[in-house]
Amino acid sequence: MDNNKNIEQVSKIKTIGIPTQEEIKQAQIDFSPRCTSAGRVNDKETQKMVEYIMNFARKHSLFVLAYGTGCGAIEIPATMTSRYDAERFGMRGAATPRQADVLLITGYLSTKTLKRVIRVYEQMQDPKYVIAFGSCTINGGMYFDSYNTINALDRYLPVDVYIAGCMPRPESVINGIVKLQGLIQNGNAGGGKCYKDNLDWYRENQQKVIKNWDFPDDYNW
Amino acid sequence: MEIIAIILLILLVGSMLTFLIDSFSSKLTGITAFLFSLAASVVFFTQIPSGYQFKFQLAGLDLQWGLTDYSYYFAYIIFGMSVLALLYSIKYMEGKGRLGYFYGSFLLTILGMFGVVISQDFVSLFIFWEIMTWASFLLVIYNAYYKVKTKGVKYMIFSAIGAYAMLTAIVFIRVHYDTLLISEAIAKGAFNFEQYIYIPIFLLLGFSIKAAVMPFHVWAPSAYSKSPMSFTTIFSGAMSKMGVFGIGLVFTSIYLGTNPENFYWVRTILGWLGGITAVMGTIYALIQTDAKKLLAYSSVAQLGYIVVGLSTGTKLGIMAALYLTVIHAVFKGALFMVAGAVEKQAGTTDMTKISGLIRRMPWTFLVALVSIIALAGMPPVGGFVGKWLLYEALITESNNYILVVVVFFSSTAAFLYSYRFLYGLFLGQEEKDTKDVKEAPITMLIPMLILMIIAIVSGAVPGLIFEPAAKAMEAIGFQDVTWQMSSLTNLWGDTTNLGLISMLIGAVFVIVFVFITLKGYKNTKDVGTKDISTSGEIPKEWENLSFQQDFFQPFQRAAAPLYSMNMNKIWKNLGENLEAFFGFFRKLYTGNGQTYALYVVIFLVVLLLFKDVIFS
Amino acid sequence: MEGILFKIFGAFITALLAFTVGMLFGGLRRKVIARAQNRVGPPVYQNFLDLLKLQSKTTNIAHGFMGHMAPVWIIIAAMTTLMFIPVLQGDLWFENLTMKGDLIFLLYMMVFGNLGMALGAGQSGNPNSVLGVSRGLSQLVGFEIPYFLAITALMLQFQTTTIAEFLNIQAETGVWIVLQNPFAFIAAVLASLGMFMYAPFNIVGAPAELASGPRAEFGGKYLGTMMTGGAVFAFIKLVLMVDLFLGGAGNNNLEGIAGTAVGLLELLLKTFLFYMIPVFVAIVSPRYRTEQAIRFFWKWPTFFGILAIVWALYKNGTFN
Repeated sequence: MDNNKNIEQVSKIKTIGIPTQEEIKQAQIDFSPRCTSAGRVNDKETQKMVEYIMNFARKHSLFVLAYGTGCGAIEIPATMTSRYDAERFGMRGAATPRQADVLLITGYLSTKTLKRVIRVYEQMQDPKYVIAFGSCTINGGMYFDSYNTINALDRYLPVDVYIAGCMPRPESVINGIVKLQGLIQNGNAGGGKCYKDNLDWYRENQQKVIKNWDFPDDYNW
Repeated sequence: MEIIAIILLILLVGSMLTFLIDSFSSKLTGITAFLFSLAASVVFFTQIPSGYQFKFQLAGLDLQWGLTDYSYYFAYIIFGMSVLALLYSIKYMEGKGRLGYFYGSFLLTILGMFGVVISQDFVSLFIFWEIMTWASFLLVIYNAYYKVKTKGVKYMIFSAIGAYAMLTAIVFIRVHYDTLLISEAIAKGAFNFEQYIYIPIFLLLGFSIKAAVMPFHVWAPSAYSKSPMSFTTIFSGAMSKMGVFGIGLVFTSIYLGTNPENFYWVRTILGWLGGITAVMGTIYALIQTDAKKLLAYSSVAQLGYIVVGLSTGTKLGIMAALYLTVIHAVFKGALFMVAGAVEKQAGTTDMTKISGLIRRMPWTFLVALVSIIALAGMPPVGGFVGKWLLYEALITESNNYILVVVVFFSSTAAFLYSYRFLYGLFLGQEEKDTKDVKEAPITMLIPMLILMIIAIVSGAVPGLIFEPAAKAMEAIGFQDVTWQMSSLTNLWGDTTNLGLISMLIGAVFVIVFVFITLKGYKNTKDVGTKDISTSGEIPKEWENLSFQQDFFQPFQRAAAPLYSMNMNKIWKNLGENLEAFFGFFRKLYTGNGQTYALYVVIFLVVLLLFKDVIFS
Repeated sequence: MEGILFKIFGAFITALLAFTVGMLFGGLRRKVIARAQNRVGPPVYQNFLDLLKLQSKTTNIAHGFMGHMAPVWIIIAAMTTLMFIPVLQGDLWFENLTMKGDLIFLLYMMVFGNLGMALGAGQSGNPNSVLGVSRGLSQLVGFEIPYFLAITALMLQFQTTTIAEFLNIQAETGVWIVLQNPFAFIAAVLASLGMFMYAPFNIVGAPAELASGPRAEFGGKYLGTMMTGGAVFAFIKLVLMVDLFLGGAGNNNLEGIAGTAVGLLELLLKTFLFYMIPVFVAIVSPRYRTEQAIRFFWKWPTFFGILAIVWALYKNGTFN
């Protein structure tokens, strides 16, 4: 389902007035089920012990690149500083995608921003994780009928953890991080690998909404 | 026939011949010049023993040529650098016009320099000095055939002032001591500060202009950067060292012949001049945007260190100066060759226009890297040895403690322009217009690589340079100069073992390099310079992301008071004032016959009135 | 042959110690800052986890040869410097290559790594990296001046240029150099604030402004190896200060392992106390602009450095 169709449906809902339950279901975006339980990052049976140690380190040392797209960015300082102190979980801000492990996307994404986010994501090094923050990244939130925002981040980037809410409070951000830590320890946070495997599907979706697609041909460019 | 005469003859004939050959085939010119210089150096290195002398009479004057260990040391530099520079020159000058003119003057310059070091009397010293100066002047204006006035005039004026100063000193020596032989003049104490103080001062003036010491350095940056790079390698590497040669000779004689109290002021003044030269050269080098200009200012600064070393007058200090003389010739020669190679291949050395040449010219970059490490004085390359000797000499043997800090400031600030040079030309964004640049031809690479290897070896085994340097020092009057093959020792007996350092660095290098390369080898990608984290924005082909303008702006702001001092301005003001002053005299020539008649009458009246006073 | 093997083993032990202490102190710093801000903060072993995670990244990116080599220069500089610094006085295990340690050599070698890394940052072509390098080098000229003044004063006062001799002098007289030439200590401490590059002198790698500056393009194994080098360097700077001014460590009468253990404890205590100076300054400081930082170093620290030289000359009898 592409974006134009979405918009059509959304406008239909508007003209009718209060939508019925069925119409809402119809208008909702089909979430991609592809990356919910991805393969393990380090999957050889013989390396179980090494994997365990590495995952332990990964779990407790999350360099977060907070991609503040909109209103949500203001929650991050509160999360990091004295009141909520996310650093005690090993979370730390990273300035560039090269150093980062976690891409924290706070809030709605316009199609223009999406292009930058995709590039930032591709510049990160494996293993890498995405946390989608706020309702806008899940279903569009209050921007669900906007002509230039995307409604579900999941279709363009592999999301490991969602944090619902508008806005989610720092407690829920920390909750999301703890959840991600659990996924990493179990080896279930394989978004990066999934993205590589299903690159064509993601590219197709991305190119549908991004009109002036000018990425170079090379994947990790 | 005497061997020295043969060498001079080879160079002279070579100079004439290359000039003539140019009209038949300009391709052969470079090769001919190279062969002649090679022949001269082969004859020099195989046939001439140290202590060689040759006396003859010309026009009633006793002339004497010969080689002491001291002049031998400088002759090494001259011939070594000349052969490499001419080999480099073959490809570098290819396709340019007036090659006969260029190579003829080039060989004549070599002749002049060799003549200066072999002269043992003042007459031939002066003659060869002038040959050297004029031949090099022709080369400085090579690139500015129709714009001589703007480009070469500073060099010519300062050279002329230096030559006149020298000539004056020579005349005074002849008058006061009745000799023209250098050794006799030294023996009679002509250079000491007891009797005729102006003789050594005039001589030092003459020599320090060639060495581009502080108030007289203004000619150097433009002359170094404007002449063809293959000539600048020996212009900065060898010819400026003729000034060092002279200062060393005169200064050691002062040091050994004067009582220490008088000497203190001389050496303090000279030392501070050297220190200020180093600082000013450095801070002006780091704001340049042209790589050639940058290197030219850096040369001025490096000569400053050498002068500081000489000014200590102690064994370690003179050793530092002599060592720096060689190592500066080596790394600065290599760097000027690098700049020339970039100029030849990429068309310009303006750092705001080109960048990211490392993948296009990897070998040139390697040479530049090692030479820059030597320039910055980093271990394990040879430059460190010179810096170490200089600091230890200043701290342990001289009582010029603030000067140490000035020198240190200059050499720390030298990191800035060292980085600027490498970044500006070789690192940074790879631009679209430098995509087709090729590596320099092999004959240009060979001399650069040879110089690079010398720089590396001299870092681990500096004894190879200490040995002739120690001999040279003994030849000018020092006794018991000690040195070790691969370690350094100062007056207090503290030793640094360079062999060990080199081995350690080599071992760690190999281990870490293997580790970082092999770890995750398959999953490590080498990417281009457009793939950078620019907040997710995709840089376009035409977007210029190079950071080249105002590179060290924070430093410039912090050191703003230093930048307000500009020697060029002072000289310009002096020139303008002199012009006004002489303009007053010009007004006497009114062009009116009656005024002249009036002058004659006034003159006669004055003569008549004061005849008793004048002719009594 | 056995002697050489023993030395290599000793060098290995020294490197391990430097690495462990450096990383641990880094973690302690984060903990201290957290406590000062009324937070819990990360565990003290957090830096080890960070390093392990960085080294376990499965893909890496290098921008050309110099970018690939950048961490190598840092490790070379760190190891070479470490091998020439006396860590424990008179202890065979920490004897390393020489017990001497020429100060001029160390002064140059300590800059070596940063310059190498600057080249790597330059080849990445990221304008932020190069801007950081430009600031870093400018700041370097700032703090090296008072530092050099301080160690020149020490050299003049005690007529030696090696660290081993400074240790001997302090052991013989029983008075630490911090008391024998306090001005040199003040100048060196002020300069070391710049050397550690914590606030207020941390504009070089400012994360929000320059995207962490020279390190912007390094990740994974490259960043990890740099971190290792940085940790060893932190240890080196601390040991150098302790050796020069606070009497070094290991100067006790105990024999064998006990002596080493007591010496190590002494070393840890002294280095930790010294390390707290830049850390405490960093906690309460905002950030200087580069030219402000340079001006700062050229004012008071340089004044104290010159005072130190005058004091040294007065002490060694030049004025008599």
